Amino acid sequence: MSPILRYLRVIWQIIRKDIRLEWRGRQGVPVMLVFSLLVVFLFNFALQLSPDLQAGLAAGLLWVSLAFAATLGLNRSISLERESGALDGLLLAPVDRSAIFFGKSLSNFLFTSLVALVLLPVFSLFYGNNILNLSLILIVLLGVGATTSLGTLLAALSIQTRTRDVLLPVLLYPLALPILIAAVEASRGVLSGRALSDSRNWILLLLACDVLFTAAGLMFFETILEE
Amino acid sequence: MPKKPPGLIILDILSLIGVLCALGLILFFTPVEATMGPVQKVFYFHVASAWAGMLSFILAAAAGAGYLITRRFSWDWLSLSAVEVGVIFGLIAILSGMIWARPIWNTWWVWDPRLTTTAIMELIFGAYFILRSGLNTPEARARLGAVYAVVSVATVPLTFFSIRFFRTIHPVVIAGTSSGAAFNMSPRMLVAFFTSLAAFTILLADLVWNRFRLAKLKATNQQEMQ
Repeated sequence: MSPILRYLRVIWQIIRKDIRLEWRGRQGVPVMLVFSLLVVFLFNFALQLSPDLQAGLAAGLLWVSLAFAATLGLNRSISLERESGALDGLLLAPVDRSAIFFGKSLSNFLFTSLVALVLLPVFSLFYGNNILNLSLILIVLLGVGATTSLGTLLAALSIQTRTRDVLLPVLLYPLALPILIAAVEASRGVLSGRALSDSRNWILLLLACDVLFTAAGLMFFETILEE
Repeated sequence: MPKKPPGLIILDILSLIGVLCALGLILFFTPVEATMGPVQKVFYFHVASAWAGMLSFILAAAAGAGYLITRRFSWDWLSLSAVEVGVIFGLIAILSGMIWARPIWNTWWVWDPRLTTTAIMELIFGAYFILRSGLNTPEARARLGAVYAVVSVATVPLTFFSIRFFRTIHPVVIAGTSSGAAFNMSPRMLVAFFTSLAAFTILLADLVWNRFRLAKLKATNQQEMQ
């Protein structure tokens, strides 16, 4: 088998394992989903939002609840591997560590995007304003991708500390600020009815974050997990 | 305890002289700014400490990269020292900026690119300390701290530019013109400005070196105890 095919197979096997675990346990996505809805409820009453939400507020609310949900998923994804030494097994496997990073980060991306895809229509119902459109979905996928690749890297960092998963948001949010700003601004543009090309700069910035954080994961995942 | 290296003693004295000179120039040599009044004099130390803070942030990441490549602990001591000193300079920049902003902008804080980026830098420094304090071995502290420093320095410019897309009210002192950079300052102000910059750069080097020496002494002490 060619090395590239083998590499892709490793990635796929890790994603498949995570999907199977999720399907049998159903402990990740539902928790993230309920949590993100609770964040929407909390903000609704904390900020006394009106049912006809302005585009800016809607975009902000959407991304804050997604960012919170993503943290839960990221923590779970890596602490799962800590249980009964599963991570050691993964690391002992004669495969490239960056393939493990890709696999974990893609399965995180998958689960968080799934949460987002359920959140969007519910959000539309609550605020009487259909926000489900292709441009917004594209922005959501780009933003979630950047957050989960950076988050996978930092979750591997935080899991090694004494405080374990408590640390992840503290490490993640200051570094994820450019993702959040770009995602909120791009979503705001789309939600207020402008064309996707009007938010070109923000989408390019999101793409830059995607590339940068994936590259960082590839470079440092091995270093983080070495013992 | 090993003696303080002579180079460091010289640097100690130089940074003291530098800061005193800058202070003297600011208080007695520079003119009082026409519209802002005496509060404008905060500007010299404000910019100098923001500069030193930014420099130490870059130094911390560079030293982190140095550790990841060579795996020598001296790089880690340098990285940690740069972060610790950088936190203080960042705080000075933020606080002195607030003192200036209150009478001039009529508010302590605005969500401007420079202010926000500096504040985020401080939060990243804070996260860096929490990360290190949660790790048990010096090796893990050095390795994971270095990764965090390198990754975070890559995000700070992104944060800066993403906020810059909004309009900013922060004054631009060094304006880019067709004939290169121009300074909106009188010659006397320029003298004090560059003296402050130089003084704070020397002070930064001095503090980092002192902190580096402390980290080194601590490490050798722990080795001897074992």
